[in-house]
Amino acid sequence: MSYIVPIGPYHPALEEPIHAKLYTEGEVIKDAEVFVGYNHRGIEKLATERNAIQTLVLVERVCGICSHSHAFTYAMCVENINGVEVPKRGQYIRVITAELERLHSHFLWLGIACHIIGHDSMFMHIWDERELVMDLLEKMTGNRVNYAMVTIGGARRDIDDELRRELLSACQKLKGLLDRIAEIALTDKTIAMRTKGVGVLTKEDAIRMGAVGPHARASGVDIDVRRDAPYSSYDDFDFKVHTVDSGDVFARVLVRVLECYESIKIIRQALEMLPEGPINLGNKLPKIKEGQTVCRHEAPRGQLSHMVVGDGGLNNHRVSIHVPSYKNTPTIPHMLRGNTVADAGLIIASIDPCFSCLDR
Amino acid sequence: MQEYKRIDIGKDQVVPVAERMRREGRYLVMIHGFINNDGQMDVSYDYAVNPAIESYHVVGETALPSIGAIYDTAATWPERELNELFAVEFEGLDTSKRLFLPEDMLETQGKGQIMVTPLSELVEKNLGGDGK
Repeated sequence: MSYIVPIGPYHPALEEPIHAKLYTEGEVIKDAEVFVGYNHRGIEKLATERNAIQTLVLVERVCGICSHSHAFTYAMCVENINGVEVPKRGQYIRVITAELERLHSHFLWLGIACHIIGHDSMFMHIWDERELVMDLLEKMTGNRVNYAMVTIGGARRDIDDELRRELLSACQKLKGLLDRIAEIALTDKTIAMRTKGVGVLTKEDAIRMGAVGPHARASGVDIDVRRDAPYSSYDDFDFKVHTVDSGDVFARVLVRVLECYESIKIIRQALEMLPEGPINLGNKLPKIKEGQTVCRHEAPRGQLSHMVVGDGGLNNHRVSIHVPSYKNTPTIPHMLRGNTVADAGLIIASIDPCFSCLDR
Repeated sequence: MQEYKRIDIGKDQVVPVAERMRREGRYLVMIHGFINNDGQMDVSYDYAVNPAIESYHVVGETALPSIGAIYDTAATWPERELNELFAVEFEGLDTSKRLFLPEDMLETQGKGQIMVTPLSELVEKNLGGDGK
């Protein structure tokens, strides 16, 4: 029997609204469509009526998970247009915040993935460990979600020596916690049975459809903006870009776990080598010079790009924001085909979608 | 600082550039659009030629060829977005379904409403004169 099974826009397996139509033969998905736009807030339009400092606040609210990534990328655009070089210490602090954000984002996703496959003890364990990262972010920035760590020309808050030592010691603890999570995530039979061979995206398809981030790397595509187009001193740090060839949900688990280790490595290096000097160029309200640029940042879910056009005034002439989920969401129908309805929620979630980001 | 190279092209070069980039294995980062100070549509095709971005601009055109056959959804999604928000027509692009805008905006084709209409007018239209 053929059925059309709707999922969403509001559904228990979805953290955010998206509508998927599954065209099935019995339990098997023959084809699928996805529909977005349920979170469209017109943020790009609002940005045209805001100055650069107001826009930092605005773009941080594009997403509740990768909020720092948006402020970071927008600030890079304005700094590029204005020809401003961020002090080295400010660059390092931005990197430390970005990598802590990646850790909490990956922990969040791993927890949700476990919840969807019914491994709730693992879900609670991971989210419990994630609290350490959230506490560190709160201690460092004063906030758990929208950190407000970025200003045009640098970072807004410094890391003093006491906090630096505390963060270094937390890195050691985090690595121990991650070892335990990795051991369970990569050897547990329940996780393996629900994720191996499920929702496969081949390398060729990932490249053709422009998949980015851990989603692409789990299909064997060796891309990472931090290495391919270094910014904010990322080329000072030693880290590895992990890829896995199998392209299934398990590969996405594996890549994200391995990336957590790399993030801890980067944070530790940044803290150990934290340069002396100012963290920013002074909190002035800058005019955005006439010009245009695009900057990219490797957000937790992949390449995030902002385009900013300035006309010499205080406000943006145009801000265009394109997030990793914009590239990864169109791969969902492709991954769903040939799988069962029971796996649809997991496959959709496996790209670590952020529809709030996507819709803006 | 990431490098950004602007290169102006004509609409007839959109497809050849996309084909060359695809052959060279370059990622299409995004297709952006905005209306410049002269009131002209400026569509830019940004390719990752690492570590730089090569941004190919077509200025003053509101009808362009689609590069969906070359870059699949990496191109068709931003093309659909530009069609909804700026009324840019892409030859061969399926625009029968909405991408971001509400279904009822398609009645008026939704064309350009978000980016072209001043925010104050949208507020007045949707929320009444006092914005509440």
